[in-house]
Amino acid sequence: MAGSDARTGTPPSTRRQALVDAFRYRRQALTERLPELPGVAYVFLLPFFVLFAVFLLFPILYTIYLSFFTFQGVGGTTVFAIDLGFFYFPVQTISNLEFVGLRNYERLLTDRQFHNAMYNTVFILLFQVPLMITIALGLAVALDASFVRLRGLWRTTLALPISANLVAYATVFVLLMQEQGLVNYALGLVGIGPIPWFTSEFWSRFTIVGAVTWRWTGYNMIILLAGLQNVPQQLYEAAEIDGANRLEKFRYVTLPQLRPVLLFVAVTSTIGTFKLFSEPLIVSDAGAPLSATRTIVQYIYETAFIDFRLGYASALTWVLIAIVSALSVFQIKALGGDDGA
Amino acid sequence: MREAQREFAWKVLTYAVLLVATLVTIVPLYWILVAMTLPESAFLSTATEPRLLPGGHFAENFAALQGRVDVAILGVERVLGFELGFLGAIGNSILIATVYTSLSILLCSMAGFAFAKYEFEFKEPIFYSILATLVLPIQLLVIPLFLLMSRLGMTNTYWAIILPWAANPLGIFLMRQNMKSIPDALLESARMDGATEFQVFYRVALPTMKSSLAALSIILFLFQWNLFLFPLVILGQDKYTIPVAISDLIGAQRVYYDQIMVAAGLSIVPIFLLFLFLQKYFVSGILAGSVKE
Repeated sequence: MAGSDARTGTPPSTRRQALVDAFRYRRQALTERLPELPGVAYVFLLPFFVLFAVFLLFPILYTIYLSFFTFQGVGGTTVFAIDLGFFYFPVQTISNLEFVGLRNYERLLTDRQFHNAMYNTVFILLFQVPLMITIALGLAVALDASFVRLRGLWRTTLALPISANLVAYATVFVLLMQEQGLVNYALGLVGIGPIPWFTSEFWSRFTIVGAVTWRWTGYNMIILLAGLQNVPQQLYEAAEIDGANRLEKFRYVTLPQLRPVLLFVAVTSTIGTFKLFSEPLIVSDAGAPLSATRTIVQYIYETAFIDFRLGYASALTWVLIAIVSALSVFQIKALGGDDGA
Repeated sequence: MREAQREFAWKVLTYAVLLVATLVTIVPLYWILVAMTLPESAFLSTATEPRLLPGGHFAENFAALQGRVDVAILGVERVLGFELGFLGAIGNSILIATVYTSLSILLCSMAGFAFAKYEFEFKEPIFYSILATLVLPIQLLVIPLFLLMSRLGMTNTYWAIILPWAANPLGIFLMRQNMKSIPDALLESARMDGATEFQVFYRVALPTMKSSLAALSIILFLFQWNLFLFPLVILGQDKYTIPVAISDLIGAQRVYYDQIMVAAGLSIVPIFLLFLFLQKYFVSGILAGSVKE
């Protein structure tokens, strides 16, 4: 989809094309490099970089700093203030800050609730990501079949869930999956019966798995479908000549060709599931046992904003970042092979 | 003959898979639309037959929702002289997402242009340090951002949830990738015609990026539309966005399901319209987010 203008086939106007040719020649003669106009690039970069530094880079670094302290709340005295009448900007100290070194990190090792949240998150991850990728791949293969009509309509409809508001959809799932909800009703029709989606430790995790899978499968399917459509047709023809059946073509042509796309989907889904927050929050509001569904981000949220232990929450944050990064690198190494990432 | 039969069976199977998946996708969305027109008792339990067709209770549910939620938006309610209720939250969400998207698009395309089309010192290190922040789960920036905002005196302002992600790493990455495909000679010819560098960017480079910009707009709009955790901690009730307003209907004692259904149904409308108008960009928007491999 990138830059349709990169094609050379259709010149916009002959005059412009002549100019373009002339300068292309001139540029090649003089220099192969991009223009070095001192300052200009920085001017273009500045607005982005200011916001990036203030609201992204600084908080990231500040979290590292905070993780070595215990801390109880914002406030304290104003050091100085910029007062322009219409604009008042006080710079305040942070009160009750006490340096504790690595103690926040030590505490992680014995924090049962943290271990529990970690376990829940990994449990959900291990079911949700493979399930979703399998379904998404199956749907992508189905849609990729040459005889399928109205491909655009199917594709868009299946991607509809990501446009549903996150909190709204989580709440609706609570209703659909309650003891006497529509899901259990439908299961009852085929003789399966009523599953305690929220009250049982075991099933409440699968409620989250189901909800997340519903929301994100279509999204990943679109990515996989685009990957499938890039597989060179000759490879299938060659496999056919060798007498490969449908399954073998999938196994020896489709899967290897799709590997980089699958890798991307796996890494982003893993990161996404590690970030689960809204779904478990609302499921536990609906009565699911916290010990079974509390995810790591939910625990960090509770630590920071209900207990107001910001130092410890910052340490938790960094452990999570380390885990997610390590896992991404591991997936890239394991799945990616040589051409990975 | 057997070959033809097998081929037919495969077609049936393929369509069956697609049909089942589509049903599973559509039913919860359809059910919201049905439930918002029914009294709570009619959709909460299916001890009896579940209702699958809309009823006539929408006005009552809507009135109940308006009575419970009261969200202001930019003082519009004072001008109008009546409370906006939940519609205020929809207004806030649209307002915030629109301002955010416009601002972020501008910043990202300018910075992306700099990275794609100029040589300057520390170009690579700056770019990769920006890109590295893509791995971070954004929810976890909530703590330091919360502290930062309280120090800047920006708690309970729109800017508090517009500014932090305006410098979007994904946005700059996409714009840089796409702007690399603009022929250098095109920009050079504009310079020869006497255009300033900003005119080169605005008049020559940007117009060739229309579909990329549309795709990125959708990614950014949906991102802001779905933000929940940070608005929850930073916004007061007068500035609630849709997700926060809905979560407010989930009380400790009672969950107002009839009202949530109306809220959920109404909140689908704006995004559905966006979806409808920009459908082709919607798919390319998803793909644009995946060009990383």
